[in-house]
Amino acid sequence: MKMLKEIHTDFAAVAASQHEVVNQPRWQELHEQALAQFERSGLPGKKEEDWKYTSLWAFGQQAFQHLPVEPSHVDATPYQLNPSAYRLVIVDGMVDRTASNIEDLPAGVRIQPLSESIDAVADYLNATIELEKPGFNALNTMLMHEGVFVEVDAGVSVDKPLELIVINSGNTVDLAVHLRNVIVMGENSQFTFIENYVSEDSATGFTDVVTESSLAEKAVLTHYKMQRESSQQFHIATMASRQARDSQWLNHNISLGGGLARNDIHTQLLGEQAHVTMNGLYLISGKQHVDNHSRVDHAVPHTSSEELYKGVLDDKSHAVFNGKVHVHPDAQKTDANQANHNLLISRGAEIDTKPEMEIYADDVVCGHGSTVGQLDLNQLFFLRTRGLDEKTARGLLTFAFAADVIERIEDKAMREAITQMIETRLPKP
Amino acid sequence: MKMLEIKNLHATIDGKEILRGINLTVNAGEVHAIMGPNGAGKSTLSNVLAGRDGYEITQGEITYKGENLLELAPEERAQRGVFLAFQYPVEIPGVSNIYLLKAALNAVRRYEGKEEVDAMDFLSLVRDKMKLVKMTEEFLHRSVNEGFSGGEKKRNEILQMAVLEPELSILDETDSGLDIDALKTVAEGVNSLRDPSRSMVMITHYQRLLDHIVPDYVHVLSEGQIVKSGTKELAKELEKSGYSWIHKTPEGETA
Repeated sequence: MKMLKEIHTDFAAVAASQHEVVNQPRWQELHEQALAQFERSGLPGKKEEDWKYTSLWAFGQQAFQHLPVEPSHVDATPYQLNPSAYRLVIVDGMVDRTASNIEDLPAGVRIQPLSESIDAVADYLNATIELEKPGFNALNTMLMHEGVFVEVDAGVSVDKPLELIVINSGNTVDLAVHLRNVIVMGENSQFTFIENYVSEDSATGFTDVVTESSLAEKAVLTHYKMQRESSQQFHIATMASRQARDSQWLNHNISLGGGLARNDIHTQLLGEQAHVTMNGLYLISGKQHVDNHSRVDHAVPHTSSEELYKGVLDDKSHAVFNGKVHVHPDAQKTDANQANHNLLISRGAEIDTKPEMEIYADDVVCGHGSTVGQLDLNQLFFLRTRGLDEKTARGLLTFAFAADVIERIEDKAMREAITQMIETRLPKP
Repeated sequence: MKMLEIKNLHATIDGKEILRGINLTVNAGEVHAIMGPNGAGKSTLSNVLAGRDGYEITQGEITYKGENLLELAPEERAQRGVFLAFQYPVEIPGVSNIYLLKAALNAVRRYEGKEEVDAMDFLSLVRDKMKLVKMTEEFLHRSVNEGFSGGEKKRNEILQMAVLEPELSILDETDSGLDIDALKTVAEGVNSLRDPSRSMVMITHYQRLLDHIVPDYVHVLSEGQIVKSGTKELAKELEKSGYSWIHKTPEGETA
């Protein structure tokens, strides 16, 4: 039996009760398919290969709420990463209009909450994900109720990024929210999307999100995800993309929070010269568990992927990295690079890392590797002989380890915002 | 004034005795050279002075400006003015030179109860000090020692020393791996820091460093003990006859 046996939340019942809420043929069709799939396969147990190192047992024990006790207004300002960006704020699963700023957009870009774009988004739903895949795709599809829908017309470079700020106020105990973001980019368009998940320290609950993006020829999507929810939160996310020729998806995925956080990052490179960058950093402590699963499908010749994930694990935290690069039979001249490096700064921390390459073409340049290490004692001693106390020296070396992931963020403002956020987790020099 | 006083120091590593009763007194303003063949205990002595883990002090004591040095953590020694210039400077990717210099200077200043250094003042201070060791500003923004040549690494050590202005500097094989030009640059940097209030201990295998940084006293270290002390003339003698004569002297007569 590969299914998780005990699930104390009746997700199917919640979904069934919502079936009539969205009266749109494509939504209803997907809803039925997803519900049927969920009833067949449930949630993955530990015998499921992709969930081998991430137990959902504790998740199954939770009884999540699906109705927030009251509409909450939370000041989103302290959380935002890019103050000049367009902003959509979702608090406890509901759009906070007063905190949002998506009214005054330039021509050629449309940004709407998912709940207000039912018809427009319908044709794009589930274009990048499969319901049958063991995990949360079916669950998200049958329960998605909010998110953002973005359309960028051909040739348009959107002047400012969009920052989606998702906040759990903590006002509702064990609140579950199910979000779907859909980004559709026309030919030769450019856009920056920032996903920012936060919660009050006391908040408990479950954030379930799928972000789908479709990139037409020459489209460039710069995509940040910052997750720093409370350590009692469950966070299950997918970022999936389909890329046409000459398109670029530059994905930066930073995990600092959550009790259990899982990211599935997947792209299909479907046109020549399509490129993906997957850049990731996880910095965890206590009993946090972070699992990053990535997959790149090189489906045609002359595509490239560059993946670097780094992790710093303290206390009894546990991280999982599983990276799959799949080079299909026709995909000659594929250039794929994948690396995962981990720094364990406590004896109790644990990492399961598995970079995988499946190569079915013979004329390719592919490299992968993973390392697990500890702080270098010679470096530590050197810094101490220069007057830095041990705690500061350790913090500095830890930050230095993470530095090359941060340096890959090209935008200076984002780089600085993320640097600041990471520095708050480390002792100050 | 006594800067450093080492009395009957015995140290072991992994149960093996390396230092076997060292006695040495260094007064303020003096430059001492400790010479010796490989395996004499030179590196152990510099590591013990700087506070590296892994050594056990089985007997004896080290007093620095009247304080028990052995009770202090490496950073506490540094904050009080003890500096070790490493034989093999470590590379630290991701930490820029300027960040390190500033963090180090501020650590010392905080201990001294001074305010942290102002950014502009700091930059002009560092620029002055870089001239001493002929380093260009480009080095400030590079990661510590990463991709530096052997000579650049050694100059970088002396730059740190110049910025921190330590009272007691231990120079561990500072000449190793240097060509003659680099050696002269490093020596000029060190000489410019000589001062009646500062002391230096140079640890070296070869005499050639001593042509450029002329010591007040020379000691010969062999098998964990100082077997002979003298002036700079002693170094010249060693250069001529090598270290082989040391071993021929019965231990009882030299200790």
